[in-house]
Amino acid sequence: MKRRELVKMLGMGLSVAPVSMSTRLAFGGDKKESSSRKVVWVMLRGGVDSLQTVVPAFDKDLMRHRRPLAEAVLDDLNPLDNGFGLHPDLTNLYDWYQKKEMAPVVAVASPYRSRSHFEGQDLLESGLTVTNHDSGWLGRALEVSSKQGLAVAHSLPISMRGQGNASTWFPSRFRAAEDDLYSQLFKLYESDDLLRGRLEQGLQTRAMAEGAMSSNNKAHFEALARAAGMLLNGDSSPSALMLEMGGWDTHDNEVFRLNRQLKQLDDGMGALKKALGSLWQETLVVIATEFGRTVKVNGTMGTDHGTGTALFLAGGALKGGRVLGDWPGLKPSELYEGRDLMPTSDVRSWIGSALQQHWSMPDQQITSVFPDLALGQKPLIS
Amino acid sequence: MNEKHAVIAANRFGLGAKPGDLKTAQENPGQWLLEQLTIPRFSSDHPDSGEVLEAFYAYRKDVKRFKQQKMMEKPDNIAGRLFVHMAADTVSGAVNDDHTLNWRLLDFFSNHFSVSGQGGMMKPLAPTLEREAIAPNLLGPFENMLLAVEQHPAMLVYLDNDKSAGPSTGVARNSRGLNENLAREILELHTLGVNGGYNLEDIQELAKAISGWSITRPKEEQHGFVFRPAAHESGSRVVLGKVYRNTGSNQGEAILKDLAVHPATARYLSFKLARHFVSDSPPEALVKAMTDTWRQTRGHLKAVITTMIEHPDAWQSDPVKLKSPREFYISALRLTGLPVPNARLMVNTLVNLGQAPFGAGSPAGYGDVASTWDGPDALLKRVDWVNTITRQVQMNQPPVQLARAHSGALLSAHTAKMVSRAESRQQGLALYLMSPEFLRR
Repeated sequence: MKRRELVKMLGMGLSVAPVSMSTRLAFGGDKKESSSRKVVWVMLRGGVDSLQTVVPAFDKDLMRHRRPLAEAVLDDLNPLDNGFGLHPDLTNLYDWYQKKEMAPVVAVASPYRSRSHFEGQDLLESGLTVTNHDSGWLGRALEVSSKQGLAVAHSLPISMRGQGNASTWFPSRFRAAEDDLYSQLFKLYESDDLLRGRLEQGLQTRAMAEGAMSSNNKAHFEALARAAGMLLNGDSSPSALMLEMGGWDTHDNEVFRLNRQLKQLDDGMGALKKALGSLWQETLVVIATEFGRTVKVNGTMGTDHGTGTALFLAGGALKGGRVLGDWPGLKPSELYEGRDLMPTSDVRSWIGSALQQHWSMPDQQITSVFPDLALGQKPLIS
Repeated sequence: MNEKHAVIAANRFGLGAKPGDLKTAQENPGQWLLEQLTIPRFSSDHPDSGEVLEAFYAYRKDVKRFKQQKMMEKPDNIAGRLFVHMAADTVSGAVNDDHTLNWRLLDFFSNHFSVSGQGGMMKPLAPTLEREAIAPNLLGPFENMLLAVEQHPAMLVYLDNDKSAGPSTGVARNSRGLNENLAREILELHTLGVNGGYNLEDIQELAKAISGWSITRPKEEQHGFVFRPAAHESGSRVVLGKVYRNTGSNQGEAILKDLAVHPATARYLSFKLARHFVSDSPPEALVKAMTDTWRQTRGHLKAVITTMIEHPDAWQSDPVKLKSPREFYISALRLTGLPVPNARLMVNTLVNLGQAPFGAGSPAGYGDVASTWDGPDALLKRVDWVNTITRQVQMNQPPVQLARAHSGALLSAHTAKMVSRAESRQQGLALYLMSPEFLRR
């Protein structure tokens, strides 16, 4: 028996213990309801060089700090608002921008002001002013709105930690077992409700995702992003999903490395949108990183850890097609500690506003997600 | 009764029976466990934390040189390799040893004092904590372990105390200041527990008392813990209402010694131990008995564990708690007698199963209740892994024999039947390793 059939049979025939993931949508719930609105949270680990991604081509000081980096992309930039240009490898994201489904936010940062990756990531994920490793902003948002989340990861990232509203999924590196073994296990668990329920739910998730997994490169970002789209599209799917992508710590050879990274990210986002299908219209995508990089190029054709960076908001639900955030300028006197892009807004205020509007959360709910923030009223969601 | 207790002894308190173990345990399961209260032995050919620091400092210097002048070869980062080998050394120790209660205790305290191997320096440093500060103090007074842990480079770096300076010191005037991270976690996670009756001032006072507890810099000769008087906030401190005179490094030590025997610590650690071994919601009488022993013996760990083992409530009810990924992995290797995999494969498998060594990512460590590891994806990962390894087992006996050697009197007729009727020995073994009897303890 094929696994697909097995799962189908299980879904129809056997009685199954209640499973933890929400089943509200399991029977063809109306996709237009606000309860079906999805959030995809993409965490870029390593510190993205925003000046090479959302390039301030108009800024006269750009060339004096980083000519060898800027020159490599300047002629091929995709034009954005206010003289900014989007990196040429972000073709899907630019397409979205033109359809008003994407908006970069420039010069943002979390409250973190040192330059350690782990501390920076922990604080951004935690969404507070002091890191709490056991509570993340998305975990709290899921909790207050009684939604379920899924992280494409081996273990639950800090952003989704909280009162158990999120679980994880990741393609197995072990060879999948034969279907016969699963059938046998269902018999073995005939009087064990917990194990039987988990087995069934696990197989359903896997069946939804497996179409996306090519056998030799399962953990590739594009494959993971496609699987993410399929998981969101399935029955009793989670309301929020988290993806992670590393490799952004471009201390050397940045031009080549960043081209490759951005291409992978863009391919992944394209695959996500395709897999989401019409659900894209109900989706908010948030792409962020722990901090930016130095404005000046360093001695090995790269950049070092910095402060201000860019955030991408996207999705069919977004009012996009514009560049958000205030530009601080790149004159030496305008830099943070004389070396980094000066942050002009808190990355959490954009995430918080978009999230609140997207999920129609009352003020009191969003306040328990980001307790120390006064969120702006700028409409971000259409 | 002894037959059933032998199974509980091996599975609930240990890391699963090897063939033959149940027979030995059956004589006197409690006594069999008490004899396992020995210090776990590591293979000794791994560098200690001082050598790790030295190697890391040298590597960092090379990287700096490498970035300036591209002439040299890219420096070799030994840190990642050390991490994997040390992490795997603990796993294979537990797989190979006849005693496993001691390895369970090591794992418990290693998670209680969780450090994550993230970041250049923490990567090789994290696995040295359990080897140097926890294992040697596993069966003595808790205060010895507590002091050794809080003064260990891994903990000092992980929770930033190496950079902490008293607010009125000269060091503080040069841009650094007090860091409360370690002090907070000592009170919240390591001793009293979050509801242990301390307040913000206690945290700040403790942070001042341990300011100056740091690690050596690259230029210094012997690497490891160092007390820096220049960064230590002088003056007497008041923690939980008690005054501690200014005695330099001893001031913090005196506070930790009191914390180790504080009633809230006794209660919190006893509860955590009982929850770890016996049940997600352990019987109150058991927790109370352990707490009493803690207070009577001033936190003598061997005495507290002995109280647990000798308490009838620790043996009651059928196995309910699902094994953690790590316990599952180790017990499966023990039962099947598969050759112990190489270090990299071992660590990767644990990552895949959902419990990366030194990868909790939070000073609170991995959750210690089944709900943190009983997710659907986690169960499927176990099926896949079992499916892979059972192909490698050379079995000459029927798999139901292995099932009996492990679950003895607790093997259900249903599982025995399914294992016996499987289409192949391999599938029979796979079914047993995924059975409720093997998954629970």
